[in-house]
Amino acid sequence: MAVIEVGRVCLKIAGRDSNKRCVIVDVLNNNYVLIDGETRRKKCNVKHIEPTSKVIKISKGASHAEVVREFKKLGIEIKEKVKKEKKPEKSLQKQTKKEEKKEEKKKEKEEKKLEDAKKVGKV
Amino acid sequence: MPSGRHKSRTLRKVFVKTPGGKTKIHYKKKKPAKAICASCRKPLAGVARERPKKMKNMAKTKKRPERAFGGVLCSACSRKELKKKARSI
Repeated sequence: MAVIEVGRVCLKIAGRDSNKRCVIVDVLNNNYVLIDGETRRKKCNVKHIEPTSKVIKISKGASHAEVVREFKKLGIEIKEKVKKEKKPEKSLQKQTKKEEKKEEKKKEKEEKKLEDAKKVGKV
Repeated sequence: MPSGRHKSRTLRKVFVKTPGGKTKIHYKKKKPAKAICASCRKPLAGVARERPKKMKNMAKTKKRPERAFGGVLCSACSRKELKKKARSI
């Protein structure tokens, strides 16, 4: 049976990262294991991973870069997730447009009142 | 006597007590059946049950869990499937 050990390539079978290949970087205790690879680098319960037949040579507590290099040898590409910068200005632009429209309406109303007032005044 | 349109079978009757003490009938549209797992036919978790029009402009994450086989297989069956796959690698 495949042994749970450092360097053992496994498949995450539960959770958000399921169906992703990972490697055991560190064995914390008989229940918990540190995994990295296609999945996020995180502590994971042994029940949520299924060992495969492959083993790769990495040191205990290896860094993410080392894992990426080893995975490339296996032919598994790991895409680096680029964090999208939040664009706060977009929401502000919308508000400014709305405010402009409101102001225009107000001006029109005031102008109408002035005109009506003049008419009344003349008559 | 309920009017013709209330006799249709897509509406279900809900008996509501009014403050005056009388009970009134409210008519509500029926919801579609629960989504079921493809292999063990148990109801799926994490899948919203709404009428199609409401489902359309719902967020995608509300309509199915963010997991492999999300919305198709239940968690136990998806684990079985993935175990088979892991053993074949």
